[in-house]
Amino acid sequence: MHRHTVMTMKRIIISAVAMAAFSASAKAFTLSLPEDIRYSVKLGYNIGGTAPLGIPATIRKMNRYKMQSNYSLAFDMQKQIKGRWGAMTGIKLENKGMEVDATVKNYHMSMVKGSSRLTGYYTGNTVIKAEEWALTLPIQATYTPAKNVLVRLGPYVSYVTSRKFDGYVYSGYLRENTPTGAKILMGDSESEGATFDFSDDMRHWQFGIDAGVDWYVYKRWGIYADLSWGFTNIFKKGFDTIEQKLYPIYGTVGVTYNLK
Amino acid sequence: MKLHKLFLLATVCCTLSACFKDEPANAECDIEKAWIHAENPQDMFYNLSDTLVNVLYTDNLITFDVKPQTDLTAIAPIFQVTPGATVSPASGSVQDFSHGPVTYKVKSEDGQWEREYYVYFNIVTRTETDTIRYDFEDFTINERHYYAWNHTLSRWDTGNGGYAMTGMATKYDPDQGKYVTDSMAFPTIPYADGYDGYAVKLTTQNTGAFGAMMNMRIAAGNLFIGAFDVSMAVTDAMKATRFGEPFDRTPSKFRGYYQYEPGEQYQDENGSTIADKTDQGDIYAVFYRNHNEANETIVLNGDDVKTSPYIVAIAQVTNIVPTNQWTEFEADFVFSEDIDQTLLNNRGYSLAIVFSSSVDGAYFKGAIGSTLLIDKVELICTDIQ
Repeated sequence: MHRHTVMTMKRIIISAVAMAAFSASAKAFTLSLPEDIRYSVKLGYNIGGTAPLGIPATIRKMNRYKMQSNYSLAFDMQKQIKGRWGAMTGIKLENKGMEVDATVKNYHMSMVKGSSRLTGYYTGNTVIKAEEWALTLPIQATYTPAKNVLVRLGPYVSYVTSRKFDGYVYSGYLRENTPTGAKILMGDSESEGATFDFSDDMRHWQFGIDAGVDWYVYKRWGIYADLSWGFTNIFKKGFDTIEQKLYPIYGTVGVTYNLK
Repeated sequence: MKLHKLFLLATVCCTLSACFKDEPANAECDIEKAWIHAENPQDMFYNLSDTLVNVLYTDNLITFDVKPQTDLTAIAPIFQVTPGATVSPASGSVQDFSHGPVTYKVKSEDGQWEREYYVYFNIVTRTETDTIRYDFEDFTINERHYYAWNHTLSRWDTGNGGYAMTGMATKYDPDQGKYVTDSMAFPTIPYADGYDGYAVKLTTQNTGAFGAMMNMRIAAGNLFIGAFDVSMAVTDAMKATRFGEPFDRTPSKFRGYYQYEPGEQYQDENGSTIADKTDQGDIYAVFYRNHNEANETIVLNGDDVKTSPYIVAIAQVTNIVPTNQWTEFEADFVFSEDIDQTLLNNRGYSLAIVFSSSVDGAYFKGAIGSTLLIDKVELICTDIQ
């Protein structure tokens, strides 16, 4: 009941914000002449991770980090409002993915499947693959410190269309319930170990803050960089398999082209 | 721009790698191995290998099998514990075991966890009786909430410990507001309406989502003389079933009573239904040499329990038919080599009796619901020569 209400409220807020943003830009489009608005397309690449804020002591080591197909394709509309200040919105199709191999020690986990539950402490290696293809709507304030530079900051909302969070454990062991419980060894490879898939436990809506800078270096061409910091746990409420809340924190670098 | 990149890099690095904290102290507190250092081990032990006990992580009773006349008043067991853990009384300290088990407490390095172990010296005398009876009347629920059977002569075990890992027997109870384990939801449980008192009920069960995750979709009900090593259940399930215990008599046959009902749908290891295939129960006993040529201990497991070159005799029950009446079964031990009496007297042979509700349950093939009831098992030995 409660959760449903919260969800509904969130949906209303999102819709309102989205509508406001779109109508504002639409209004700008019809009322002002096109030279007021700067349209640009951006193609970039996301680098980062979906990680807890502050690594707990139970996560010991990162053995491997593998780049994923983290492309970001964006269409932006920016308008100067007053002096050097302006506003920007747009739409972005992007992937925030990662594949990490980490070593953990005595990491508490609890898995629920249907009405069954498995809980315990895991020591050893784990491989996690995450993929979050999302449609993102940023709303940003812009500042122009120099003619060809645009600094941006503002919130974003993402709808994650394709969710994946899976992996396996290897070269380790689980202690059932407590560190004194039954010890179960995990094999040394993916086929001998246990696999997991928490994709269905991921949420669709994500919020966060994005800060970025566009730098037009040659005519209509420029380069840009962004840092987007997710404020919402990638998993749904009540999901406690993984002790910490995981937030997508990704940086983007790429090229931007000013359409006019 | 440069500053921005630096900021980005710093954030990513800090989040992903640079912020690793100091390694936490160990939370585990197990005795992994226990051994006795004796000047003349042959005075105390039947076999040199009996001086060392590899302790299963689910066990808290450490038993040393010793010869009669052993002086139990001053023995100093040595322990290998989890790194950082401390044991009290200390490893290597002299204790008096003549009044029964001595309790040892192991504390974890982080001081948060503690386990209690009981070290016991079991004086093994020659098995005098020619007929050994297993009535399965003596059972308890252990600390992991499943049934375990006790017998004065033989250690019986089940795969229940592996099933506990699937979480299938543990459900959320809204009345109590917590997760509760139902001891009767396991594949091997007592059955009140036995041939005579209690019987044992073995049922092939679905292992649910967790079982499927580990590619082990069913768990056959099983019961056997030996030990179940839960630690191996995921990596190499065949190795988890450690069949047999040392036995100093020559078995000639075993018999008992059963009922069998195969489950409706036979499935293979991938969970696919195999039409026209009916599940079968399995009842057998093996007798084997428990040391190899290098004098290392041999324990048969799921891989070689019927094929090992160390097997000297097998008694396989062949005609288990679906029946809801108590039906007698019997099988003779068929020997492939002669018994070495000296080896027999020194506990150089092991015996395993095995029951399973699905004959290929070890390969995760069978029918969910297949049920084997077992009661009043007797092992008949040939006269002492």
